[in-house]
Amino acid sequence: MSTFANLWLGFQVAFQPGVLWYAFLGCVVGTLVGVLPGIGPLSGISILLPITFGLDATKAIIMLAGIYYGSQYGGSTTSILMRIPGEASSVMTCIDGYAMAQKGRAGAALCIAAVGSFVAGTFGVLVLTLIAPPLANFALRFGPPEYTALLVLGLIFLAYMSSTSLPRTLLMACVGLLLGAIGIDNMTGHFRYSFDIAELGDGIGIVPVAVGLFGLGEILSTPSATVTGKVLTPKLRELLPTRREWRESVMPIGRGTVLGFLVGLTPGSAHIISSFLSYAVERRVSKHPEEFGKGAIAGVAGPESANNAASTGAFVPMLALGLPTGPITAVLIAALTVHGIGAGPQLVTEHPDVFWGFVASMYVGNLMLLALNLPLVGLFVNVLRIPYGYLYPLVIMFCVIGVYEVNNSIVDVWIMLIMGILGYALRKFGLDPAPLVLGLVISPTFELSLRQSLIMSNGDWLIFFQRPIAVTLLVACAVLLGLAALSMVSRRKDWRAKLAEAEAGEPTS
Amino acid sequence: MTPEFVCYRLLLAIRYSLFAIRYSLLTYRGTNSVQLRVDHVAGGAFVAFGILVFAVSGDLPVGRLSMPGAGMMPKLVTGLMILFGLAIVARANESAPFAELAWSDVRHAGATAAITAAAVAGYERLGFLVTMALMLFALTAGVERKPVPHAALFSVGVTALTYALFTYALKSPLEPGILGFWQ
Repeated sequence: MSTFANLWLGFQVAFQPGVLWYAFLGCVVGTLVGVLPGIGPLSGISILLPITFGLDATKAIIMLAGIYYGSQYGGSTTSILMRIPGEASSVMTCIDGYAMAQKGRAGAALCIAAVGSFVAGTFGVLVLTLIAPPLANFALRFGPPEYTALLVLGLIFLAYMSSTSLPRTLLMACVGLLLGAIGIDNMTGHFRYSFDIAELGDGIGIVPVAVGLFGLGEILSTPSATVTGKVLTPKLRELLPTRREWRESVMPIGRGTVLGFLVGLTPGSAHIISSFLSYAVERRVSKHPEEFGKGAIAGVAGPESANNAASTGAFVPMLALGLPTGPITAVLIAALTVHGIGAGPQLVTEHPDVFWGFVASMYVGNLMLLALNLPLVGLFVNVLRIPYGYLYPLVIMFCVIGVYEVNNSIVDVWIMLIMGILGYALRKFGLDPAPLVLGLVISPTFELSLRQSLIMSNGDWLIFFQRPIAVTLLVACAVLLGLAALSMVSRRKDWRAKLAEAEAGEPTS
Repeated sequence: MTPEFVCYRLLLAIRYSLFAIRYSLLTYRGTNSVQLRVDHVAGGAFVAFGILVFAVSGDLPVGRLSMPGAGMMPKLVTGLMILFGLAIVARANESAPFAELAWSDVRHAGATAAITAAAVAGYERLGFLVTMALMLFALTAGVERKPVPHAALFSVGVTALTYALFTYALKSPLEPGILGFWQ
């Protein structure tokens, strides 16, 4: 079947009333998650993951993906109206978005952010439609050595792109890989690190770990005194930008879209990195760079388009290769796995209804988000009026319910609590918990493909250097490690160090 | 190259790294007083954790390269974890002094974690309604210092609504516990 015939099949799935309802629900929840400071898309998806277990795979993945790209739309609202990034990728929108709000142009900033997000999201889905299936066909040539090399490249790329240091990211990934080794070894039947706890025999689930690290961990790190409640509410008639503002936004939206999609294909916190890069690009190409920081519309249009395009771009390696490029796609892969469906090349061929239904739902979801985010912005902003002191106990309750309901296991809830405390400690010491989740998700595949490769070659490590795809991927690993080592040795501030400083709110010089 | 040889090399690398750290600390002591830094603690904690994992995984067979055992991957990863921990310790001078770490949020975090732990401990015995209502009340009235009547109303109301939502609307009953008769 051609791409368009498949896409037609996808739209038939996406327009089923039940599927439409869950796409809508995902978009609404995603917008709320984006609006609420302290609850990022990862914690939102993790907390709601158990609720999707009763649904079929198509509805579950559509709803969870809706939360992801919906949060990118919603994140701009708090950035523009309160100067608080609803989530990390909206940090750059704070600067000029809030400056515009103070000049009385909050509505225009919100409108441009929503339109930019829509254009970027739709472009991203179009390209995803065209490139994911051929990439998946190519990936069918992958055997265990290629998968081992691909997963190593994924981890090293993540470490290289990370704004924290390479050893810190790889250390966290190792902890994740180690946690993934807990339970019965599939090849030999040995119990590993289960300490006679029957529940640990099946291994540690992604849900308690993700909910603990990102949901509970975030709450433990956020005392209510640090959450402010001053909210601006723009009127509906103020939403339309002027002709000049439209004109000044067109090119930043275009550049942000393309840049964001390309960055989104790479592992790491692509949606965050893309918005920082887009802001830097816009300031550099602008004829009036002095306006940046004082309410330049390009400073809103570029980063907002970029983070949305990046979140769509991240679905390409996830769907076509089964490679999670970040913790969010890792959790989405886990959601598919729970339903007995593996992400990767077989998804397109064996479950076309899930794949194409998901792709088609993203077209519909982007339209829904545009319709939701503009007229209903006042409604979403009202959520910010719920005092945080009442909100976070509720979130903890839903974390407990969500984790317990997966297996009716109190051990899972204890794991969540331990992970929450670990998440708090990791943040305190400047360690990013995201690579840990990624390590946990890829651990079983990585171990299996590594051991299969060694068995295939009768214990010869050279198998990884005898197959063209594997050796290409390993050369890419070596190049990235070399680049990272170079910047460590020269102790020169490269773009990643500058990004880390910008994220921490320090001046980049 | 056997897995034992790989493990031996890893241990050797760790030993040399420890020497390097000791040397760098001694050199540093020559110019300044040694100051405990954030990364000394963070890296050191993971090194200690790695050593602990090695200690408890003694009975896991590493196997041969042609037939790797159940212990190969965990031991390999633990070795790498110790190495990265040491790398963080080695570059700890670039991090902030440990004494400057802000602990203002630890009271909130500790209280929240302790209340949640108490709720988890009683969840299966006492059930959802009792534990969650008590947890919400303790968090809102105890930690957040909200007025007691507001906190009580919020805790009981939200818990009852959530229970009804899951039991009747979502057909996914929550743990009944001692109030099991109320179905």
